[in-house]
Amino acid sequence: MAVLHAWRAARVTPLGELHSPPRVTAALLRLTVQVVLVASLWRGLYAATGTTGGLGRDQTVTYAVLAVLASRLRELDQYTGRDTVMQHMHYGTIVYWYLRPLPPQRYYALRSLGERLYGLAWALAGYAVCLPAGVVEPPGSAAVAGVFALSLLLGQWVLHYVMLVIDQLCFWTLRNGAALLILVFAQNLLSGVYAPLWFFPHWFVTMSGFLPFQATLSVPLSLYVGRIPLSEAGVQLAVQAAWVVALALFTRLLWRRAARRVISQGG
Amino acid sequence: MSMNALRVVWRITRLNFRAQLEYRAEFLMMIAIGAVWQVSVIVFATVLLTRFSGMGGWDSSDVLLIPATRMMAHGLFVLLLGRVHGLGRHIQEGKIDAYLLRPLPVHRQVQLDSFPTNAIGDLAVAAGLLAGALGRSHLDWTAGRVTYLIAAILGGMLLEAALFTAVASASLRFPAADYWGNWLEELLGTFGSYPLNVLPKAVGGLLTYGLPLAFVAYFPAAVLTGHGTGAPYWLAAGSPLVGVLAYLGARLLWRWSLRHYTGVNG
Repeated sequence: MAVLHAWRAARVTPLGELHSPPRVTAALLRLTVQVVLVASLWRGLYAATGTTGGLGRDQTVTYAVLAVLASRLRELDQYTGRDTVMQHMHYGTIVYWYLRPLPPQRYYALRSLGERLYGLAWALAGYAVCLPAGVVEPPGSAAVAGVFALSLLLGQWVLHYVMLVIDQLCFWTLRNGAALLILVFAQNLLSGVYAPLWFFPHWFVTMSGFLPFQATLSVPLSLYVGRIPLSEAGVQLAVQAAWVVALALFTRLLWRRAARRVISQGG
Repeated sequence: MSMNALRVVWRITRLNFRAQLEYRAEFLMMIAIGAVWQVSVIVFATVLLTRFSGMGGWDSSDVLLIPATRMMAHGLFVLLLGRVHGLGRHIQEGKIDAYLLRPLPVHRQVQLDSFPTNAIGDLAVAAGLLAGALGRSHLDWTAGRVTYLIAAILGGMLLEAALFTAVASASLRFPAADYWGNWLEELLGTFGSYPLNVLPKAVGGLLTYGLPLAFVAYFPAAVLTGHGTGAPYWLAAGSPLVGVLAYLGARLLWRWSLRHYTGVNG
């Protein structure tokens, strides 16, 4: 029974997407065009350059295309379904999250899990097309594939907590629109979505090492393309796991504090 | 627009600005987001220029003119005409139905919905980059070139507005079409900031004749710096005019779409 309830909560956003044909069509077209553009861009740039930043042409194209595919894991829209924390704060309906038999933190986690699984289906479908088409290279070995999968899982876990912190901000600031935009920007830039972090100046890479964003995407993709060798994977996975634990504890604390701020019907 | 209409627009804009100040942290963060968004474009362009010098046969001072023009055009678009982006949400909330009842054109009401705080950050960074690009440029900035650059920025603004107005027109029918607007913004930011001749011809053609992104900044910058684009010179040089024509076309499309708009009550 609990599994059935969990399934029902998890499928809310994906169902919303599937009931909106223009969104699904747009997502498909967007993913296709973005993959073609990104692959063309990096191939074009490498036409007159050899290895740079420790990455060869095929490694960079693979990295960039996988980054595009991975972005599908983050792009679901809860806003259309009026189920973002900000909207609930605005309409005062956040109180219902605290009146249901399902704790708000579990509801949020289930929603997030469902969204990520739906996004993963898109990413895997894209990968299944790009791999035989030669747009992306296969992983160097089975061990690399395994470590990549584990690192990607940890990375998504970190991303889930980072998004949660931004949503929890609403309990204090009421709005988080700007914070969310800044987060998307920071995640794109500091996790290597715009360009692999290896192309950036040394100080930039060092700075981003102190933030959680690198752990969300740059680490798994660098492991996949072989820019981070397997011998260093243990350290990187440990850093990702440390971020998961630290953010889990922090968000737990915020949930507790947030609950004290929610007042039902004037108290 | 009559003097009275202008006065109404000014008063509503002032009210909107004060409304934005209601949430101080959000206000400051919105300015920051405008700035950091633009900075991300600069960082991306800088990384590419550093790692892949001689991009498409352009030297770095010439390339900088492309993101500078595009960002100024984008900043002005956000400030003056940007509320058409994200219109789907207003349609979903039924705001359009209320707009139709008021004695002010719907398009104007859409633009006056809120004050675009992020435009302050957008324009500040864009102006800085433009000053930097002009400072590093080896071109002789004659009155003719300066006039063309201003026309190109305004044309770029109108072209971007035309694209988002077209998406907004589609949103009147399918509010979820908003999603296309997010993609459009991303495409303009990512692929509008460097010479398109880096890309294969078919892809460059798609970003010229399919999605007319090349007309926003790449073609005007090529005309100013004397680079070839693969497109006829008259077409590249006419970029500002393309912006004007595209915007007029988009407004006609908007008017047609609005006439066929059906609210939730049928």
